Amino acid sequence: MNKVIIINLNGNAYQLEENGYEALRAYLDSAARRLEGNPDREEIIADIEQAIADKFRALMGASKTVVATKEVEGVIAEMGPVEDASDTPAAGQKGAAEPPRPAPGPGEAPGPAKRLYRINDGAMLAGVCNGIAAYANIDVTIVRIAFAALTLAYGAGALLYIIMAILIPSAVTSAERAAASGAPSTAQEFIRRARAGYYEGMRTFGDRRAFREWKRNFRHEMRGWRRDLKREMHENAHQWACNWNRHWGGRPYPFLGWWVAVPMLRLLSALVALVCLFSLVSLLATGAVFGILLPASIPVWAGLIILVIVFQMIALPLRVMRHAMYYGGGYDPVRAGWLHFWNAVAGLGFLAVLVWFASRHSGQMHDAVRNLPHEIHRAVDSVREWWARQ
Amino acid sequence: MSSINEKFTPIRKGLLEFLVLKVVSADKVYVADILRELGGTEFATQEGTLYPLLSKMRREELVDYEWKESEAGPPRKYYQLTAKGREQLREISEYWQQISATVKSLGQKPGQ
Repeated sequence: MNKVIIINLNGNAYQLEENGYEALRAYLDSAARRLEGNPDREEIIADIEQAIADKFRALMGASKTVVATKEVEGVIAEMGPVEDASDTPAAGQKGAAEPPRPAPGPGEAPGPAKRLYRINDGAMLAGVCNGIAAYANIDVTIVRIAFAALTLAYGAGALLYIIMAILIPSAVTSAERAAASGAPSTAQEFIRRARAGYYEGMRTFGDRRAFREWKRNFRHEMRGWRRDLKREMHENAHQWACNWNRHWGGRPYPFLGWWVAVPMLRLLSALVALVCLFSLVSLLATGAVFGILLPASIPVWAGLIILVIVFQMIALPLRVMRHAMYYGGGYDPVRAGWLHFWNAVAGLGFLAVLVWFASRHSGQMHDAVRNLPHEIHRAVDSVREWWARQ
Repeated sequence: MSSINEKFTPIRKGLLEFLVLKVVSADKVYVADILRELGGTEFATQEGTLYPLLSKMRREELVDYEWKESEAGPPRKYYQLTAKGREQLREISEYWQQISATVKSLGQKPGQ
């Protein structure tokens, strides 16, 4: 089953499969770009849309109402790339300002710069790991393991993941998909060319004049690539900033003012941490949390880990909001001072409650702490047992 | 053969406008006619190339078009030469004769 998208081609309605729609959109987008500066751009695009519509109509029949992806691709191939015939140096204007690039192969436009996107195809969650893997050209499993490992460290990985899922745009169009995984990134290309140029230089080392010539060219080329790299970084950063503003800026902490929200959040997370600690202790001391007995099939150490994970998940949104206040909308000394003040208050309060609790239930605490090494031993033993059974 | 084909790519591209002028001069045609006429030749081309080229030629007032109803589907643009286009075609044809005569005569031993 495929999703179908209805399009309007110069006044003709057609139903396309989703991937076919993406391909067609990419084709028309690239046509519009190639014709930039052409006074008849609108008209040519309308002509081309009409021609595509005619081809689609020939494919349709009484029992066939949807244009399949393969058919869309066939029609696009039949149409051929749109080339601007006019002599206006629309394409040349841009090229003149840029450093001389190595000539792309015949008929092949320089590919779009590689960008970091989320890739939803084959993603487990939001496609962040997938996108990073494609961008850095490494296996997605490695990225996932890295995130999982980071998550064990106080949920940092999960926090990072959520922030990245918000900031990084998802690759939707096929052009974006190509940019996410296709062309080598400028950074990689930069390194590759630097290395290639280096070997080239080594070869000319004997000949003084050739060497000087090479050096001049090499430096020139490297400068061009560096500029490209900088531009790409800048574009990425700009994109991220836009996303950030869309999600966090524009509506600065709509619930309460930050001066109320900060202490609330801080105290709330301290409370969550306390509850977590108490339930851990109670699990160790009595084998039950809030009166709920741990099922016999689950060892205590596994219960401890589950508890920690559950509380991490509860605390996570609080932490995300707090971090948004740290970093949202630039640095503000007043706000930073306020945040630190409440961090200190919450820390002291946490300590005070802990001391009070310990003095009141000193016996229980003592037992719990004494039980801890025992539990760790049991955890290690059971893991070893499990390993031996494999 | 393919390398010759490649070498002549820019020349074929440059000649396309001349050939389109020739095709349009015979009759009122629409794009599919032009594609069909060129289709069997070395100058086979595609809509993606032809539409921008025709729009440029219209801007230069070499061709003009009118909308005509078709039996099936929406109205189509039928192209025809303008007076300026006809004049241009005559000039280019002449020039082409010169070029092909030059190509023929070069490299031949005198007196042969």
